[in-house]
Amino acid sequence: MKALEDLILKIGKVDRRWIFLVLAIAVFIPIIKPIGMPIRATETTKVVFNTIENLPENSKVLVSIEYSPSTKPENHPMTISILRHLFRNNHKVFVTCLWPDGQFMAQDALKQVAEEEFGKVYGEDYVFLGFRPGNEAVVKGIVSNIRKLYTVDVYQTKIDEIPLMDGIKNFKDFAFLFSCSAGYPGTVEWVQYAADPTGVPMSSGVTSIQVNEVMPYVQSGQMKGVLAGMPGAAEYEALMGQKGFATSGMDAQSIAHLVIVLFIILGNAAFFIERKRSRKY
Amino acid sequence: MSMTVILGAWIAVFLTLGIFSYLYKDNPFYKTAEHLFVGISAGYWTSIFFWTQIQPNLFGRLWPSSEFSAESLWYKVYNGLSFLSTSVFPSGGIDKGHDMHLSYLIPFALGIMMLLSLIPKLNWFARWGIAYTVGMAAGLRAYGYLNSNVLGQIKGTAASFTDPNMPFFSLTSVSTFNSLVILVGTITGLLYFYFSKEHKGVLGKASKVGIYFLMISFGASFGFAVMGRISLLIGRFVDLIKYSAGDYNNATLWVLVIMLIILGYDAFKSRKTPPVNEEAV
Repeated sequence: MKALEDLILKIGKVDRRWIFLVLAIAVFIPIIKPIGMPIRATETTKVVFNTIENLPENSKVLVSIEYSPSTKPENHPMTISILRHLFRNNHKVFVTCLWPDGQFMAQDALKQVAEEEFGKVYGEDYVFLGFRPGNEAVVKGIVSNIRKLYTVDVYQTKIDEIPLMDGIKNFKDFAFLFSCSAGYPGTVEWVQYAADPTGVPMSSGVTSIQVNEVMPYVQSGQMKGVLAGMPGAAEYEALMGQKGFATSGMDAQSIAHLVIVLFIILGNAAFFIERKRSRKY
Repeated sequence: MSMTVILGAWIAVFLTLGIFSYLYKDNPFYKTAEHLFVGISAGYWTSIFFWTQIQPNLFGRLWPSSEFSAESLWYKVYNGLSFLSTSVFPSGGIDKGHDMHLSYLIPFALGIMMLLSLIPKLNWFARWGIAYTVGMAAGLRAYGYLNSNVLGQIKGTAASFTDPNMPFFSLTSVSTFNSLVILVGTITGLLYFYFSKEHKGVLGKASKVGIYFLMISFGASFGFAVMGRISLLIGRFVDLIKYSAGDYNNATLWVLVIMLIILGYDAFKSRKTPPVNEEAV
């Protein structure tokens, strides 16, 4: 028993760099050799899926991109899956960005899904309005008069010359909003300044770190479900029946979590053993 | 594969490994990556903000092409500005679909006032711009928070305990048990922050329950934060593995080996150099 306690104490005092190395190996191996762990959709993900599934054909859907390359592994698979779902069901998609870097992310996703996978026509099936600075003021602007805020799209084409923009005056002209968010401004601002005051339903895909912040909105019905981090994206890919980046990353995610939990247990065990021994002497 | 793509991959690998190298210790690779990130981000954001807001929405409303008149004094000023840059001030006015709004001179002046903070003698002007921004943001946010985070949450979580249709326990929907947990958690959590009375007796016990709720909340936040960070690590690893291929001239392997040799040599050299005795100096 004493030998085991000594070993745990030794592990508890190990240089943190060894822990980083073990974690790096734990993430690296499943990426190279995937295990194929099963993915089951949680209720919040199913609600997002069902909300989009139940939209009538040709619904006008606003997709807002609020993330940068730094959270691409979490947010981008969500955007791709949501766009696939919207285009598969023949909805009309309008894309805005509250983050400047979001413009590149949206461009990348639209090129892959709208152009290459579905062959959708720009200006008839989707519009890319792009980024405007101003945070919540932009959301308020879209709610009150989108044409005042966006006179041109991202390619500098006048809004009045885009057929899909006919009849779009403000946020109430959209049937649904999906916000793919990594922080401020993002999902919270869309709930506060757009969805709640107008009653237009919205869902969101957020980074893991934001889940606690937005979950109260889901529980109270202010949001129709949420895609929570990379697992949420993987669950959506499973519901769509089209595996992608998030699914392939989930093995590494699960193994890394096990390793972290193991280190937490060992760290706590070492703490309690040390405390017990210091009391003894 | 084009040379620019390969060069981009090498830069991405260098920057990723440079940031990771901080886990070993602070070093010039990390510093280079950090400074590049900060500098490029600032430049990129400035450029995006200028070309998506200031040029089309501010200058575009002050000197719109729709009301261009070479004889007017206002457009003579504009023509003077055209000498500075024809891409910012193209001849014949700015064509972004706006009408003339001279009221936009106010935000223009406030913006210039903000920039005056760079001149020590005139930096007090910046307070006007900051005061406007803070006041506007406070006004916007007060409504949003009150409506969505206070009223919306109360409305969403209020439940009738006498409702016969409400289940006693449910993991995914409103139930008597969940409502009780929210009620107890909210009240005891608030009591923990009530400092007008010493935390003894009933108040002490209630605030202790509040601490447990707060700890569970912090624990959930920590768990999600770890999950998010692992997702980002997976994203970087996937890219590093991709760039280690022959198509990219084995960028990851080369950069990693060169970095390890330099850091190893530096560690070896600093081990041989005796530490400087500051007191003796």
